[in-house]
Amino acid sequence: MQIKVLSGNEALAYGALQAGVKVVTGYPGTPSTGALTSLLAMDLPGRYVEWSVNEKVAFEIAAGAAWAGQRALCTMKMSGLNVAYDSLISIAYSGCNGALVIYVADDPGASAGMAEQDTRGFALMSDLPMLEPSSVGDTYRLTQVAFELSERVKTPVFIRLVTSIANAKIALEINDSLPPAERTPILERNIAKYTKAGAAICITQHQDVIARLEKASEVIHEMGLNALQLAEKPGGLGIVAVGAAAAYLEEAFDLVVEYGVDKTEVSVLRTVTTTPFPTADVQKLFAHCNFILALEELEPYLERGLHIEAHRAGFTGRIIGKLDDGPLSRVEDYDVDHVLQGLNTALGLGIPTDHFEGNRAAETLASRRPITVCAGCPHRGTYMAINQAIRNLNLGKDEVMVTGDIGCTILGMNPPFNTVWTEVSMGASVSLAQGYVHGGVRTPVIATIGDSTFFHAGIPGLLNAIQHQTPLTLVIMDNGWTSMTGMQVNPGTDKTFQRPGGHRIDLAQVIPGLGIDQFFVIDPYDLKGATSVIEGCLTLPGVKVVLSRRECAIQATRQGKRAGNLRLTPEKCVLCKQCVTATGCPALSIEAESIAIDPTLCNGCGLCAAVCPTGALEKEDET
Amino acid sequence: MSYDIYLVGVGGQGILTLAELIMRAAVHNGHPVSFFPTKGMAQRGGFVKAELRLGRAGAGPHIRENGAHLVLAMERSEALKGVRYARPEGDFLLYGHVWEPTAVMLGEADYPSLESVLEAIRGSNARLVYLDPKELPEIDGTYVAANVFVLGAAFGNTRLGEVLSAHEMMEVVQARWPHRAKHNAAAFDAGLRIRGTS
Repeated sequence: MQIKVLSGNEALAYGALQAGVKVVTGYPGTPSTGALTSLLAMDLPGRYVEWSVNEKVAFEIAAGAAWAGQRALCTMKMSGLNVAYDSLISIAYSGCNGALVIYVADDPGASAGMAEQDTRGFALMSDLPMLEPSSVGDTYRLTQVAFELSERVKTPVFIRLVTSIANAKIALEINDSLPPAERTPILERNIAKYTKAGAAICITQHQDVIARLEKASEVIHEMGLNALQLAEKPGGLGIVAVGAAAAYLEEAFDLVVEYGVDKTEVSVLRTVTTTPFPTADVQKLFAHCNFILALEELEPYLERGLHIEAHRAGFTGRIIGKLDDGPLSRVEDYDVDHVLQGLNTALGLGIPTDHFEGNRAAETLASRRPITVCAGCPHRGTYMAINQAIRNLNLGKDEVMVTGDIGCTILGMNPPFNTVWTEVSMGASVSLAQGYVHGGVRTPVIATIGDSTFFHAGIPGLLNAIQHQTPLTLVIMDNGWTSMTGMQVNPGTDKTFQRPGGHRIDLAQVIPGLGIDQFFVIDPYDLKGATSVIEGCLTLPGVKVVLSRRECAIQATRQGKRAGNLRLTPEKCVLCKQCVTATGCPALSIEAESIAIDPTLCNGCGLCAAVCPTGALEKEDET
Repeated sequence: MSYDIYLVGVGGQGILTLAELIMRAAVHNGHPVSFFPTKGMAQRGGFVKAELRLGRAGAGPHIRENGAHLVLAMERSEALKGVRYARPEGDFLLYGHVWEPTAVMLGEADYPSLESVLEAIRGSNARLVYLDPKELPEIDGTYVAANVFVLGAAFGNTRLGEVLSAHEMMEVVQARWPHRAKHNAAAFDAGLRIRGTS
């Protein structure tokens, strides 16, 4: 055994290794990314780890490996599960050999800026067990349980983390001797199991999936995973807690001591799943307690289950949570105060409101700090060029629809660019744009997307536009990396970074193969050239594709590459601030007499020089 | 005993590194510790916060409002986002560096005055320790790392020094960057000796 400081993501990775995982696939997505990243950084002979092109592909690969009898893991954020879900239902029906574990990370509080989706709803819909660790330590243990459960019940099993567990770090004791992952693969030909050939097969499989969830419930009970503590004296409060909310229970009990609460008089059920529902333990709680408090983040799935079981058991006591105007919130992530609010209502403690609220007025004085792209980011040039092209055509900014997509490229919605209007899901920019065209918009319609997002789900949208010859301009901002999630390799990343024997897919070859006439490659650091190409596209008929290509500045700098050198002649600077207004570059600041450049940030991209009217800023190309 | 630290600043100031250093010292000492960093999507220049919880095994990672024994802020405007987490009678250390957002530089948005920020901190009833960024010392002609200086100041001016030993903290800092050991020791020591104002 050894002590390591690990995040929840890393604990999950180590748990999977400890469980003998052989195949790991995933697509990056905050907050789930760290699990697969940590595995890729290890030397793991006999195991296979990859970033796949999207979550559906990743999930199918993991399922194939599990059907071949291996232990497999697939990782994604909640949005990614939506992508994988089509196959997930089918594979849930078939079940698995080996073990198939799906790690999905939800984001209560939306710190990664997407949706507060509660993925537990998917466990209900697919009748698949979903383990919900309440801490980093719990994650290490329950990941191993997930593989065990999957293999024993022959079903895919979810393990669900939230941001505050996935990214929190603690010192954890882990086992450093790993079992071998290698097993002899099996090939099982079984039409009734692996196909959906006819209603009889589908209905039988549906019965199987229901039976497997029942079995999973029994195995969880047998493994003693849920902890039920009944108070000595019956008749008091019973608490059911799951996931991250459960981690604050002890702290909350400490805080209510001064209100006369003795925690030994409270019954507590800590459950590791909402699906399957911990029915047997809940029934014991109903038999022992007079009223119940449900503690869970986001949606009231646990609470609804409690109402159903209460009805069946004839339990008439109050169930406190989020339904019936309960005190708990369906939005944001929880801290101890949420648990305290629950106890306050359940036990009528009369804790004053100011106990829960610090001075919130203070932060309204803080300056807004909208994030923008990094110094030297090639996307900056693309957005400046799109904006300039629109101006050159004497069109107003509010007259030209520019759809946006997921990843760093979405920062085009922020100042100083304010270019992009929409953010929906991976690849949606390309199809949404077509809807605006068919909706009768008379001005040019532009779609923007990053390289990884285009590979992930943008390609079908482009095929559709080409097939139907829907007039639009698609700008693919190709920086060669999946950047926003922390620089993962994607199909277009330079060959040097692909796995040995791997292949790079060049978009400049793929797109002309679709039979498109108007295809242009531009350099976003060349503002004039890029503007003129985009401007041209906005006046041409049919489908136009612009590939705006430059490596991510962070990655280029890490490889010791510079775009050029920037020379500042302060005497020529008239402090017109054009450079700052147009680029918003973090390397620029305004001093008393002149603009200043932070040489540790500037990579010499020259976009500020391109808009400098006096020649105070000049670009010298790297020789 | 439990001791919660809420840290706020701007990406690029080294505040997450500072938090990680404290975590290392705590782990080294066998204290239970939870460290939850939250950085925005920007590589640099965005709001950054971290929550450190010492001495509470198995606790959830979030610190409640009015709960932080120490709020450590490294940027004047962002300090305001730490105010609601300050515990009355706790410590609030502000290193008053100013990092203006672009809109402020262009004169399109306001930036809070020092006095208004100090007033807001005092309003939380935490004990204010203000460090003027002009106090950041130079060694051999270059400024020392501000985060290491602020870490030293936290040990010299707040009750963090009663939870962890400054001497051990210094050893952790030196071990983290062996080739900068001398520089960082001087930065930490300067922080330790400086007296902030209230």
